[in-house]
Amino acid sequence: MTAVLVIEDDDRIRLALLLALEEEGYSAYGAATAEEGLRRQRESPADNVLVDLMLPGLDGFECIRQLRRDDDVPIVVVSARDDTHDIVAALEAGADDYVVKPVAIKELSARLRALRRRGRVVVDAVPAQVFGDLEISAEAGEVRRAGRPVAVTRTEFRLLCELAEHAGRVLSRQQLLRRVWGYETGDERLVDVHVGRLRQKIEPDPANPRHLVTLRGLGYKLQR
Amino acid sequence: MTRLGLRARVTAAFAVGALLLAAVMALFSYDLTRRSLLDERERTAVRAAYYDAAVVRSGLDTGTPDVVAVLRSLDTGSSRRPLLHLRDGWYARTADVGAGSVPVELQRMVAAGQPAVQRVRVDGQPTLLVGVPLAGELGYYELTSLREVEETFQVIGLALTAVAIMVAGAGAALGWYATRHSVRPLTAVADAAERIAAGDFATRLDPTTDPDLTRLSTSFNHMVDQVVRRIERDRRFAADVSHELRSPLQTLAAAASVLTRRREHQDERTATAAGLVADEVARFQRLVDDLIQLARTEQPAHRDTVDVAGLARAACRERSLPESLVEVAEGTLARWRVDRRRVEQILLNLLDNAVRYGGGPVAVRLELRDGIGVLDVDDDGPGVPEADREVIFDRFVRGRAAHARAGTDGTGLGLALVAQHAAAHGGHAAVVDRDRGARFRVELPGAAG
Repeated sequence: MTAVLVIEDDDRIRLALLLALEEEGYSAYGAATAEEGLRRQRESPADNVLVDLMLPGLDGFECIRQLRRDDDVPIVVVSARDDTHDIVAALEAGADDYVVKPVAIKELSARLRALRRRGRVVVDAVPAQVFGDLEISAEAGEVRRAGRPVAVTRTEFRLLCELAEHAGRVLSRQQLLRRVWGYETGDERLVDVHVGRLRQKIEPDPANPRHLVTLRGLGYKLQR
Repeated sequence: MTRLGLRARVTAAFAVGALLLAAVMALFSYDLTRRSLLDERERTAVRAAYYDAAVVRSGLDTGTPDVVAVLRSLDTGSSRRPLLHLRDGWYARTADVGAGSVPVELQRMVAAGQPAVQRVRVDGQPTLLVGVPLAGELGYYELTSLREVEETFQVIGLALTAVAIMVAGAGAALGWYATRHSVRPLTAVADAAERIAAGDFATRLDPTTDPDLTRLSTSFNHMVDQVVRRIERDRRFAADVSHELRSPLQTLAAAASVLTRRREHQDERTATAAGLVADEVARFQRLVDDLIQLARTEQPAHRDTVDVAGLARAACRERSLPESLVEVAEGTLARWRVDRRRVEQILLNLLDNAVRYGGGPVAVRLELRDGIGVLDVDDDGPGVPEADREVIFDRFVRGRAAHARAGTDGTGLGLALVAQHAAAHGGHAAVVDRDRGARFRVELPGAAG
């Protein structure tokens, strides 16, 4: 059974979410603060984490950063805040997805399913691809830069594999949303922020990317 | 009667002022010139008359004077006509002058030995009459025509009138030019007001260095600040209210989904009630989403190159409709310069509208016409009556078709959002005529490149 950790300070929302997620077939447990959530995640790691942004004590952004430090557990932000600023900050902190309250349980469930699919490594017997000093091995689920392994999240890895599979060709943000996130329509900021995070990890100079380049108005391309 | 504009009035005042000034100057100089010219003429005429009188006197002093010959011998040219009044009668070189030309009063004065000068009219001509007493006789007169002088006066008068008119014209031009400067701040205010009305709330007047205009610009800017603050407050209130509704709605949505899931464990009445709660929570959720969207539509469109055809197909998939509904007109590029999120919502809302009230969409057409992106969604429903075609885009207004179908789950904001998103692109949304069903058309200017 998939375990979901819900970090939410509003007791009623937390309780309702836990009930609904259990009803959907998840094993769900909650935490009222970021500290409690982080402790639970250390003790018995969940498969997915849902985080609210406005939390007492450590806020949601910091909570995401600390969760991310330890592992690549898929994190979905569930917040009433919908400013571009908050969304981008949460994604940059390391969240994989962002939904605005109130979210229908069906939708939330669909997003969690999509995240799990992303986690599964696609083994298409694709040989390891090399882009300069960057080496992507889909089979091994590994990314190496100059021989050293790079820690990427599942979403970042899927994104990188998708781009590598179409190396030298442009993929639009919408294509990437569909292929990586599994959304027919969605927020393009998801793509932009993840590309930015990926660049921090794989580009020697993230401000002037050599491999993962932007084609204005078209999308992104991975090149040698 | 419509009042003249400020500029016209100032210009007229300048023109009248200039005309008055010029007229006074002209009259004064005319009078001065006329007087000095006449005086000069008179002195010359008097001198000539005295000289001629002396010649006549000496001519008469001969033994047997031939008066006519004496008069003929005078070198008077054509402008002076001599007239001799002897005891035995009047003598002249021509018949057109005679006793009748000299006023009786003047005759008496001259006969009494007093020289006299008078301006008279002879045969309708202005003439200067100089009378010189003649010793032993009644008098010698000379008529000097003033026609040339009068003509000169006419020319001068005409010239001065022309100058006065020109000065008045120059005054008017000056007034027009001067008011252009003084009206400029008003033009700036009008321009700024228009820009603000068009939605550019960042518009302010430049604080001028001119102390007379500082008050205008500061109070205008203050007013705009107040209005913008008020609009912003209203907008934020709507956004805040919607926002505050989100958290409790999340609890409701999650709880309702549990109720729906557990339908089989409930008795019939509980299940019906739970179904109602779940449906209404879903609608409430959409309503809050739409309200938040609406509060945000005031912001300008963020244009980007967007594959609108792909977006339309994705929207169809999202709503479980066949992609084949989407038709792209021949020769129309699929990529438009539009705001992706807004166009996406336009498409989704129009599809929802067609599904809810129009029996489902039958076509989604995209076409670029003269740079305007035209987006048509056709449905198979009863159409929209002429009377409803405008109001249907207002907030919380649903067409008659919508009312006819009780229990609809629309929010009444979908088409209002469509209209606002179109407006953010400088375009508009409308219902256009079609043989059957309704056609919702959205025009997005500036969509080409």
